[in-house]
Amino acid sequence: MESDSQLVTRVQGGDQQAFAELVRRHRDRVFRLAASILGREFVPDAEDVAQEVFLKVHHAIQSFRGESEFSSWIYRITFNHAVNLKARVRFRSPHTDETVLYDTATREPGPDRQAEMAQRDQVLAECIQTLPELYQSALRLYYWLDAGVGEVAELLDVPENTAKSYLHRSRQLLHGMLKQKGYSCD
Amino acid sequence: MTEMEPREAAIDNLLRRSMAAPVPSLPPNFDQRVMRELRRTSQPLDRFRRTLLVGYGLMSVVTSAVVMRGQGLEWGPIAALTLAPLAVIAAVPLVRRATQTTLRNDAK
Repeated sequence: MESDSQLVTRVQGGDQQAFAELVRRHRDRVFRLAASILGREFVPDAEDVAQEVFLKVHHAIQSFRGESEFSSWIYRITFNHAVNLKARVRFRSPHTDETVLYDTATREPGPDRQAEMAQRDQVLAECIQTLPELYQSALRLYYWLDAGVGEVAELLDVPENTAKSYLHRSRQLLHGMLKQKGYSCD
Repeated sequence: MTEMEPREAAIDNLLRRSMAAPVPSLPPNFDQRVMRELRRTSQPLDRFRRTLLVGYGLMSVVTSAVVMRGQGLEWGPIAALTLAPLAVIAAVPLVRRATQTTLRNDAK
């Protein structure tokens, strides 16, 4: 199997089949990274980001000099693109209704308890929004998108220990925030 | 993951439960969509850009040749002054590609 750098060289020579292979190889991770930044409410936007990233990469591939891994380069482009989009869509109403978002959290007995848990989940979701982008992305990749620490590290282009510390620090911060707002984690 | 203290384990459980939602995935025709979009956006633009650039280049060459001739220069120096920059422009990408290939081979 050809390496990414061999495919990049072929694309730089005008080979569109090689670019199609790069898209096939990286599409899912690019999309997962974009989704982890934009959140559950904006999954269709993550799809658009993935498409725009590949168009951008194709446009800029002549300037790619192979100083870093192709995957690191494309994940960096994805991260920046998704963060920029997030800043623009922040005040737009989400694609998914919040009641749908939290329905998985309300399958417990007792309507009072359900309402209480739904409220806590909503507060938690709001607290997550206040974390730094890297922490938010690490949390969504790990807890929502079922990524292992290795994948989190790869997509955020950091060593595994750093990814672990992002998750650890996020949990600490969220615990403190919930406590401050009068919610327990149990 | 390493062993968590109880406080961290509690928020870990809460996050697992609270953030659990269907994992989204791209539609199966995503690749074709990207390639189609690529053809749609790049081809006509490239053709248009190329035509514009060639037109601009030809106009510049003719104009500068006429101006230089008007200043009393012979056709020989005019040709040299016009073709030398064009040769440099044509050589730059070739040199850059050769340098990149050498660097990549050195890195292996």
